[in-house]
Amino acid sequence: MPVDSPPAPQPPLVLETLVAQGLPSDECPRRARIQLDLLLLAIEALDLVGSEAMLTAARDLALDGLVKSRVHLWLLRGTNPMRRYSQRRPLHTEEAKALVMIICTLSRRLTVLVRQLLVGYQQLRDRELSPEHHFRLADYLSRFRSHFRARMNPRRAGVIAYSSDEKLNQLAIELLQQLLLCSGVLGPQRLWSSLFDGEVS
Amino acid sequence: MTVQRRYTLPHCNLVLEGLSDNADDPLSPLTVLMNAECYLPGATDATLTGGREFLDSLVAAVSRYGQRLLSGVPYPTATGSVPPMVDVKPGEGPYHHLIVQQQPLGEPVSDVNAQPPLDVKLSTVQFYDLMEAVDQLLADSQTLPDLTAQFQAVSRRLVQPTEPITQRAAPAALGAAVLAAAGLALFFVPLPEFEPTQPETESVAPAESSTAPTDAPAADGDVGGEAASEPSSGENDLALADNAPAITDGATVVLLQGDVARRLQTAWADAPRPVSDLVYRIAVSEDGDILGYRYENDLALAEVDNTPLPELTFVPVDGAGRVQERVAQFVATFTPDGEVVLEPTENPETTAAAEALPELTSKVGDGDRIRALNSELYDRILDQLEPLSASEALRFRVRLTEDGEIVGYEPTNAAAGLLVAETPLPSLVTATDSTADQVDFQVVFTEGGVLEVSPWDGWPQ
Repeated sequence: MPVDSPPAPQPPLVLETLVAQGLPSDECPRRARIQLDLLLLAIEALDLVGSEAMLTAARDLALDGLVKSRVHLWLLRGTNPMRRYSQRRPLHTEEAKALVMIICTLSRRLTVLVRQLLVGYQQLRDRELSPEHHFRLADYLSRFRSHFRARMNPRRAGVIAYSSDEKLNQLAIELLQQLLLCSGVLGPQRLWSSLFDGEVS
Repeated sequence: MTVQRRYTLPHCNLVLEGLSDNADDPLSPLTVLMNAECYLPGATDATLTGGREFLDSLVAAVSRYGQRLLSGVPYPTATGSVPPMVDVKPGEGPYHHLIVQQQPLGEPVSDVNAQPPLDVKLSTVQFYDLMEAVDQLLADSQTLPDLTAQFQAVSRRLVQPTEPITQRAAPAALGAAVLAAAGLALFFVPLPEFEPTQPETESVAPAESSTAPTDAPAADGDVGGEAASEPSSGENDLALADNAPAITDGATVVLLQGDVARRLQTAWADAPRPVSDLVYRIAVSEDGDILGYRYENDLALAEVDNTPLPELTFVPVDGAGRVQERVAQFVATFTPDGEVVLEPTENPETTAAAEALPELTSKVGDGDRIRALNSELYDRILDQLEPLSASEALRFRVRLTEDGEIVGYEPTNAAAGLLVAETPLPSLVTATDSTADQVDFQVVFTEGGVLEVSPWDGWPQ
């Protein structure tokens, strides 16, 4: 049968596991946009080629249609209002789902490292030592701090709260814990529903 | 047939024992749970065991807490009911507390044999392993298919605000309290009494009167809008201006003349041209404000609305006393060619003092006497001469008797007429009605301050 229009694009199958929550609109709330970008930032701090791995993961998961290119990924992450070059475009739920899948895929690959860092952090804390005593952990923290300061707008109220090294370290450790929780078998669903805590009716 | 399922992770072993649906089929799922055991090596030596109720509570608590760790939004706990069998709470630093209500095996729950809840301190990695074991169980379709994951974001209504209500209400309460205190304090402050400004104080500082809003257009020399007055009010002002002291400073008058002429010309630029001259007499204050005007011919009355005068006229604020300002009077002529000609009127005071001298009847003929009178007049004027403010030479015709008495004088140019009061001449007149032989002299006060006196008819031969 001849058709006069191309078939409507189907959403990627991998996203079907993420059910739409009772959101008022198709656009992601502010906290979700911040959270997704910060998790990607933590992945970049863990993995030197993290930004390249994100694009590769998007291709592997057949999410090219939603995360088209490096610039497009940058635009999606720029929806984080804390960014220096914050974009005024909204982040649609389908795009957010794609970012969730990318985060969870990458965090699963980094599970071993994340576990090592968290165990190391805990041991340091038990002995009341600073994170500088753990080489990998200190490396991760310093890289996260420099990424954060290079990309976030220091005049934003949300960024001013992280003005000191200690606070940024705390944020980096929290993100590390969250990455660990994302890496499980139901990580994507857990991360997805956590994005809308307190936002749904 | 008894089936055992085991989910093993580094820090957590979850073992389920139950009955499969179909005893003959080894692949049939485990549907009936008999016992669930949870080992947490490294965290506690105790084994957490229980039936389906324990497992359901464990799944719910771990899911809730995992979501809380991810979002940072605390899940509201049901109040008033008994504490759940399993609960996870945040601990200090990177630790978490798994709290399990224990019950003795095989005995009914009662107050008698109740044991204190078991509190297991978990690190983040240990909690993750527990959560992952639960997740694997949830994802496993071969075990308890009716137990599936329920992911639901916390509703907006259930989220507790991060700040307690007392803390959020504090700024508003503080503001209300300060307002009340300020109101109370100001209640005792007496109302300021309004006293109308006296005219005397205004004449001391005439600039104040121009600060009133309605004055602003006229004071600035702009074309005013609503401040424009009726023609009649402007004419009334002129009547008052007639009684006002005149500006005698010649330089000021010349300055005002140029300034007012320019403003009138600018404001009149677009108006229709009259068929013949419109002549007005206007009074101008020292500031350059047009205080009033009066038509001098009938056409001027008819065409007054086509001239800028009503708009440029300074309207004093009602109620305030009339300021006695010094004024200069001009004759403004609006010509059909579109030009505004402004000429100073003869100052009434000046003309009265220096009236035109009558024709000489009997002249002094003695040349020596004329020379003597000339030098005598020169000395007398010079004795009382003060520095003048004139910007051009003041020329007078001064008449003397043969004895040297000054009979009168007459200005021979406009500046001299205006500035006669500054010269010593008025005070030197002694014999206005003398009938003796007389002689005229020309007296010139140059702008450089030099006094020149010479016989009117030239030096005698």
